[in-house]
Amino acid sequence: MPHDDEILVRAVDLRKSYGEYEAVRGVDFEIRRGEAFGFLGANGAGKSTTMRMIGCVSQPTGGELEVFGRDPHAQGAEIRARLGVVPQDNTLDGMLTVFENLVVYAGYFGIKKKDAKVRAAELLEFVQLSSRSKDQVSELSGGMQRRLAIARSLINDPELVILDEPTTGLDPQARHLVWERLFQLKQRGVSILLTTHYMDEAEQLCDRLVVMDEGRIIASGSPRELIDTHVTKEVVELRFGAAHTTELAELALTLNGIGAQIEALPDKILVYTDSADDTNAALEARAISPTSVLARRASLEDVFLRLTGRALVEDEA
Amino acid sequence: MTALSVDRAAPTAAQAAWRAFNLQLALYKHVWHGTVFTSVLLPILYMVSIGIGVGAYIDPASLGGLDYAAFIAPGLICSVAVMMLGNDMVFPVFGGYADWGGHYLAQRATPLRPVDMLNGHLAYAAVFRPYTNCTLVAVVLAFFGVYNSWWAVFAVVAAALVSASMAPWLHFWSTCLRNDANLNMIFRFAVMPISLFSGVFFPASEMPGFLQPLVWLSPLWHGTELARAATADIAPALPPVLHIAYLAALAVAGWLAARHAIQRRLNF
Repeated sequence: MPHDDEILVRAVDLRKSYGEYEAVRGVDFEIRRGEAFGFLGANGAGKSTTMRMIGCVSQPTGGELEVFGRDPHAQGAEIRARLGVVPQDNTLDGMLTVFENLVVYAGYFGIKKKDAKVRAAELLEFVQLSSRSKDQVSELSGGMQRRLAIARSLINDPELVILDEPTTGLDPQARHLVWERLFQLKQRGVSILLTTHYMDEAEQLCDRLVVMDEGRIIASGSPRELIDTHVTKEVVELRFGAAHTTELAELALTLNGIGAQIEALPDKILVYTDSADDTNAALEARAISPTSVLARRASLEDVFLRLTGRALVEDEA
Repeated sequence: MTALSVDRAAPTAAQAAWRAFNLQLALYKHVWHGTVFTSVLLPILYMVSIGIGVGAYIDPASLGGLDYAAFIAPGLICSVAVMMLGNDMVFPVFGGYADWGGHYLAQRATPLRPVDMLNGHLAYAAVFRPYTNCTLVAVVLAFFGVYNSWWAVFAVVAAALVSASMAPWLHFWSTCLRNDANLNMIFRFAVMPISLFSGVFFPASEMPGFLQPLVWLSPLWHGTELARAATADIAPALPPVLHIAYLAALAVAGWLAARHAIQRRLNF
């Protein structure tokens, strides 16, 4: 099949098994040049395994995979020369300085030392770490190390940057700074592939994403499309004091007919509705008095919940 | 950002090993001063305390007319090579796969292949380190007047052969271990016995007969025999070609084992 230069990654019925355990159970997707593509899912959904196959460090056990029109198994080194990778663990060298980390890494791609130094200085400027260039990596905060890992992934001017959970473990301020840098990269036309279990991250950064669960893709589209397709416009969250799972499940039965769908979670009940005002009115009419009512716009979190029956955060522990 | 010229082709094995070697070199620049102790002070301490101190009680006639300091000098050069391997090929290899180092994991996302990472690390530990630090040891020992021949320069080559024969096996072992608490086993069951039972400080022939096979297995014994032949101009226990062939065979078998281990470890 002739390769379309605009398609960076193409997977058809892609599978990965470890013995009896099937981590990825036949997924199909394409990633196009210039887009920010996301894998959304709870831990263990198969998104990191899929990323490793795309990064040519894990061999698929079934299906087809092409990266830049090449075979990751036979041409892994050539493919990796065109990728930038930000792994979950930063894998920065704590004994080297910030600047040396970038220059040594540039050497792996055959970049001459003189060019590597110029590039490293520019990238440190980009991630706002110029003032720390002579510090050892072990002296940096978690957020700074993450930014350095992002700078390192850009050292070879990659055609596709792969980020595996780029902001996991960062405080809100550090997370926003990382998002801002990634957004700038996107503006420059760099193709981005990321995994995350943060809904706001996916909504902010991804043009298109797939939702994975138990090794399968259960939905795909832009964040807006996914919300429009799978959930209602609004969600009303109802809390009933200290009521827990069983009591909430019983209470949920009394809400039948209100909204498009009712979902009882361990700490609250969600009512999916196209009009929060109508839902509130229906609650009053039935003399149902929650201790708190929160009306909000539907989000990707709701899409995931609706599709899998589970909240993403459940699997994080 | 400045336009960058990046070679997108897969590197050759030699190019890739050189790139991986450069990481070790960058790390060495941070710790080179510590090696001064191993390469300069340690041999001086050994020569003063054992070579001269203990040597005063040893009749050269029992060593075929060789002064005791001259007897232990070639073994010391080779022992330093073994000692350095303990530093370079155990924790740094284990850490390459761990979250407190992870340089192999970082390199895995680049055009380097697992075998390139192995070759780069071996180039550092089994070539660069013995040819720099053991040369320094040999120069220091020269001031004690322990060489009988200009062939003594080949003692460093013998030390490098010992490094080459052991380094891949230490890499293999450190790659296979998953718990860092077990790393000390490498020192207890490999580095330490090899250092003690290799005829460095006394003729291996003086060891009890049942321990002789251990001596013959020890790469340090083969290296010491070669080095002593070079520095003291005396015939080694076996024809030199057999000593060299044994060390080369160990090196090749170790490299194959280490290559298999790193490829398995880095294919997720």
